[in-house]
Amino acid sequence: MKRLRVDRWTGQLLLARPGACPASTPRTALRPAAASRCAAVRTRSTRAMPEIPTDEDYADGTDHTRFPPLEKLPPRATSLPSPPPERALQSAKLAALHARLSLPEKLPLQTLARALVDNSADENPLFNNTNLAFVGQSLIHYHVAEWLMCRYPRLPMEILYAAMKGYAGPAALHHVARSWGLEHAAAPGGEVDPGLLQFSLHKPGNAIVTLGYKRAEAEGLQKYKWRHGISSRVVFDDDFGQVVETDKATQLRRADTEYGNEYTRSLAEKAYANCARAVVGAIYAHAGREPAKAFIRSHILSRTLDLSALFSFKKPTRELALLCAREDFEFPIARLLSETGRLSRTPVFVVGIFSGKDKLGEAAGPSLEVARNKAAMNALKSWYLYSPGEHVRVPSDMLAEDAQPWTPAYIDMGEIIGR
Amino acid sequence: MEAVVTRPALSCCRRAASSAPSSTRLLLNSSLPSGTRQKSTAARTRRALNIPPHPSFLHPNKTPESVASRPTSDEIIFNPPSSAPSVFHTPFKFLPKTDPRRMANLTSNLFASSTTIQYNYSPSSAASPSAETTTTPSPESFPSIEGPPVLKPRHHLTPQDIEQMRRLREQDPVTNSVQNLARQFQCSKLFVLMCCQAPKEHQQKIKEQEEKVKARWGPRRRAAREERHRRMEMLFNGQL
Repeated sequence: MKRLRVDRWTGQLLLARPGACPASTPRTALRPAAASRCAAVRTRSTRAMPEIPTDEDYADGTDHTRFPPLEKLPPRATSLPSPPPERALQSAKLAALHARLSLPEKLPLQTLARALVDNSADENPLFNNTNLAFVGQSLIHYHVAEWLMCRYPRLPMEILYAAMKGYAGPAALHHVARSWGLEHAAAPGGEVDPGLLQFSLHKPGNAIVTLGYKRAEAEGLQKYKWRHGISSRVVFDDDFGQVVETDKATQLRRADTEYGNEYTRSLAEKAYANCARAVVGAIYAHAGREPAKAFIRSHILSRTLDLSALFSFKKPTRELALLCAREDFEFPIARLLSETGRLSRTPVFVVGIFSGKDKLGEAAGPSLEVARNKAAMNALKSWYLYSPGEHVRVPSDMLAEDAQPWTPAYIDMGEIIGR
Repeated sequence: MEAVVTRPALSCCRRAASSAPSSTRLLLNSSLPSGTRQKSTAARTRRALNIPPHPSFLHPNKTPESVASRPTSDEIIFNPPSSAPSVFHTPFKFLPKTDPRRMANLTSNLFASSTTIQYNYSPSSAASPSAETTTTPSPESFPSIEGPPVLKPRHHLTPQDIEQMRRLREQDPVTNSVQNLARQFQCSKLFVLMCCQAPKEHQQKIKEQEEKVKARWGPRRRAAREERHRRMEMLFNGQL
């Protein structure tokens, strides 16, 4: 491809503006009757000189002869922290996102534009996505938690937390939002295209999107690695069992000095996740319960998470013996099913764990001890990962009008060992 | 293609090897293609490739009529390659009482071996209808790899016994070691460890002894032990 020599272009090419002839929005019905001043756009694509605003409203210190505006902005747009809502109708990116996600017609582009403004970009709660994100995260957590409870009724609390985080945590939602083709602006501002996600790395927003208490001993937990049991995590911490952190002053200083450290990355992740939550909240607000649930099912619960990789054991054989004692099964006995190369450098032993006549687990390993531990871990995993079926009903299915009578979901009696 | 050592060539080799000096004998014995012959004729290849079909293709329904006939097209043959069992296959014993899979009158035999598919196949019995008595081997036929039989908790110790156990351990931790106490009170060592704690000086002494032993380890032994420890951790995290 030939390099474009911008410095050799003629003045006419340089003065042609991409925003001069916007495509008419298909959703003209959505356009408010009182069209804003920016709706009056020129349709002629050629002209001699850019229209240099002389109005006092437009003066924001920019030299418009050197930097001609890409599109005619409403007055004082550049001084606003986020793009004004009426500009949402002109954004091609926003309309494309709306169409790409097959969002319901009832959801207007203005609300979608608001879902893209993080609270670090605009602190005014009337213009950022905080309240939408709060509704969205409540819905997402509710649906993920009830689905996990019905689908895998025997998961221990720690694994349930990890699974919640795997499905609805900031990292997962960040990937979901990225997969929608969402892009972010380099810096937020009123002149930015409303179809871009806007957040600031320099002043993180202070809006609360997740629920949880600030622990009095949070500092000690972080500094001295104090133990905090699962019961206190259920009471105090957020929905992923993680300590709510509020003090980030030292990290904030890093964000201003360095470019692209893990703190700035986590800020970006948070902004993307909040945006995904806000889209769910916006669907709920405009289209109702069922479309929001369908959206969560298809975008969040449809993702694959290998639950068997989340487990970590300390003494699997003892845990399995405790399980068998609790459930009145026979004492588990490890038996050697087959072996090869016992005297060689790389032997393989296949060990099965039996309780009476039934085999509970089986594994292969390079030594008897390893194979036995692995088999016990497999047996425990198959206990914990019991599922009543793939298409298990959840309580929120009963909210539909033509729902079948509810059959009680299977609830397990509890964990084998307390952690 | 498989190499076949034929008899005249082999004897020829042997003769050559016995007559040659030791250096060439080594060479001859290890790798010399002159003594081997490839399956270079079509007849031999056909014979080598002519293996009987898998038993599940021969008599899927195991009735005497269908044994003779080949399976029809509307039958499903489930014959997966051997692989590690999945943990998402819940064993029959782990299914709750209300589960429809338990309620359905399926033989527990099917589920007991759900993690491994076993079929006893022998070419002689495959043709005869008596092969339908394919019994999975009973668990007792496999050798147990558990250590010496564990003491079943009998709950026979009273609070007074435990007090005495603590007193003994406090008085003389050397003679009243954990093992001796377990033997004396007829309980497991774990129970003794749960009940009493050695005095601080004794713990310190044991720790110093351990440190002394560890100081004598060379770099290889230390690395090997660390690696073993790390490997065990990875195993428990499911990374191995």
